[in-house]
Amino acid sequence: MDPFIKELKEKFVHSDDLFLHEEEILDVPVLLVGFKSLIDFTKTKVTLQKYIDTAISSQKTIGELLNEIGEVKEKDLEEAVSSIMTGKLLIISNSHRKYAVIEPFHNMLNRAIEPPTNENILQGSLSSFNEDIKTNIGLIRKQINASNIRAEFFSVGSEQKTKLSMLYFEGQADKKLVEKIRSSFEKNQDREINNLQNLAKSLGFSGWSVISKVNTTELPSETVAFLRKGRVALFVDRYPFALILPCFLWDMFTLENDRNYPIPLMASIRLVRIFGILISLLIPALYVALVAVNPEVLRIELALSIAQSREAIPYPALVEILLMLIILELIIEASVRLPSSIGPTITMVGGIILGQAVVEAKLVSTLLIIILAATTIANSTLVGIQNSLAVRLFKYVLVILASIYGVLGILGGIVLISAYLASIETFGISYLNLNYAKEGTKNG
Amino acid sequence: MRIIPLKLLITLCTVFLLSGCWDTKDINHRSLPIVMGVAMEDDQYNIHLQIPDPDTDVMQVRIVSETGETVSQAVDKLSANMESRIDLLHVKVIVIEKELAKEGVKDLISGFMRAREVSPKALVVVSDEKIEPFFSNLNNTTDPQGTTLFDFFDKDAGWSPQIALTRVWELYRSIHSTTRDVVLPIIKSGDSTVIQHLGSAVIKNGRMVERIDPEETLLVNAFYEESTHGKVEVMEEATVLIVGNTMDHKSRNIDQVPYLNSQLHLKVVLLETIGKPTDKEIRTALETQLTNRFNEMFSKIQESKADVLGLGQYFRAKIPSEELKKWRSEHYPKLKMEFEVHAVIRNEGQIKLGAD
Repeated sequence: MDPFIKELKEKFVHSDDLFLHEEEILDVPVLLVGFKSLIDFTKTKVTLQKYIDTAISSQKTIGELLNEIGEVKEKDLEEAVSSIMTGKLLIISNSHRKYAVIEPFHNMLNRAIEPPTNENILQGSLSSFNEDIKTNIGLIRKQINASNIRAEFFSVGSEQKTKLSMLYFEGQADKKLVEKIRSSFEKNQDREINNLQNLAKSLGFSGWSVISKVNTTELPSETVAFLRKGRVALFVDRYPFALILPCFLWDMFTLENDRNYPIPLMASIRLVRIFGILISLLIPALYVALVAVNPEVLRIELALSIAQSREAIPYPALVEILLMLIILELIIEASVRLPSSIGPTITMVGGIILGQAVVEAKLVSTLLIIILAATTIANSTLVGIQNSLAVRLFKYVLVILASIYGVLGILGGIVLISAYLASIETFGISYLNLNYAKEGTKNG
Repeated sequence: MRIIPLKLLITLCTVFLLSGCWDTKDINHRSLPIVMGVAMEDDQYNIHLQIPDPDTDVMQVRIVSETGETVSQAVDKLSANMESRIDLLHVKVIVIEKELAKEGVKDLISGFMRAREVSPKALVVVSDEKIEPFFSNLNNTTDPQGTTLFDFFDKDAGWSPQIALTRVWELYRSIHSTTRDVVLPIIKSGDSTVIQHLGSAVIKNGRMVERIDPEETLLVNAFYEESTHGKVEVMEEATVLIVGNTMDHKSRNIDQVPYLNSQLHLKVVLLETIGKPTDKEIRTALETQLTNRFNEMFSKIQESKADVLGLGQYFRAKIPSEELKKWRSEHYPKLKMEFEVHAVIRNEGQIKLGAD
């Protein structure tokens, strides 16, 4: 046997889905090599047979035929292995010192294009990205018919190669930004990218930032809007989201789909989201501050009814609110973890615990339940899961400061959070930038 | 980079350990008195506090009292004897016994302003009767929250334009100002209503020197451009409802004699008529009635040398500040006051004048 084939077999030992199929093309014995799990062999063979038939009638040699249907390469083991890994079909002839790499029919291993699962959309285009990077870029190209859209591909990782691609609008995106992203990928060629933390490392961001520096969206319509404003979109193969760089505070409140409504409605929806962040940040802290530290701020009627609702409750306000907030976080986390068939159980049990039993058992006050409900609901109005997670965390900072310094502590906490937000920058672009689109166009 | 979370952790721990957040008391462990009564008995302050006591089902109102050399001592004694800490910041109304008001409340009010225990926004009221019966009558009210007295003076609730509203800081200011005095409402517990409003006490330098009746207090309030909306004026010809008021002042100082011309513009709505008066007759009647009432009141307060209308304010730019110190004693008694009322009938109601 050919030593090349022997080496190949050794490389894929215990890989039982590898096939080595002996065949004769134009009376030359060849070996078809590939993965059964990746290649639809029957379809591929039928098509191959058609090529062979035309080759016989036009009296071509095998070399000419292979050149026509694929890429003929020298026998290089490394390259052959990586071709097989990516789902190519290899035709290896025993006599020649060459093999051909052919694009076969693939098994359908991708989802169809489906409505979004993480971001609900009202009255807007419904298709969302899936795991295949090419499909995603295709979706973008379909969404916007523009010749100045650029898609650069990178392949990073030392052992396992990951495909990455960077999309931007030539003339819209800041050239310096594009160059910085490109060079950081090239510099970190050997770093493997399996998740967003890896990607952030590759781009040179700190992993300890609470606010995510990349904005994620699974909607082509949103992505295109970002591209048009001069942002850069990154795609990672097998990750069904577009990663938008740079990311701004204002993205927390806006969706491109808002622009499908009249302007007054759009403005009020966005106002609701701004209220959302304020309520979810401030209300739990205000509860602690007003109940424990600064009750004089309350109107007397309210103060008395709060005092009445807290009568016979054993814990101080801080312990009370932390207890309930943690239970609430557990419920949220559990409802993400659980399969959708038993999800409603958790909601029901959680609802009973939070709504009724805890109050009746005199563990927490009724007012706290209202505050928790308002906080949780308000938190969900923010755009982007990563943003609402960050706000959920900031809330605790304010609660703790409020328990120590009261209303003054809340003010201090807000200053602290604002200072933190102001300190965030992505490739030299501030997180609090409100006018990036205009500046970006100027730079381009 | 690894050291940052550690530093953060240490900082957080110290914040918790060093801040003393356990010093704060939750709202249900504080007593929130709404009304504070102050009287003087044998050189000792006698303090009454009306404290709503929130129970899980019903709200009860408690009255506690204590005597002490100072207000703080009395409150401190009370706090020690009670199961929760007394938090005076929610005191909305301070009731001062008439005898104490006549003696002078300078030290009391200065104490409130200095200690910041009591909100400077709390209202000061004079009680025409002894503090003890006043409070025990107050406690017999059916209001479960114990906010009756506060509601009585609340502009959003039971306040009427003939009731004076004076806060602790205003009283404090009047004590130290050379050109301004205040009026405090006088109340006592009523027969059919909880509280009966008797008029106002004229306070000069922290001491009660004169009384004026509710009708006259209305003019004082109008002078301060407080809204007089809702006051009903009864005359021989008609009954009108005041719906709006503005003031204009012109001051002159000629040969050491201050002159002031004040014009009150009223908008009224016609409620009832007797006979068939004309528009002009009604207006003239109203104007004369108010002008006469004002002149009567003014001569009374001028005699007592208490500038409750704050007329000295209009001469701040005309009299040198050294002279202003003698405003109450020298200039104010010489003041020539000219008061004019201009009334407009804004609305005659569904029936036009002279229609029926």
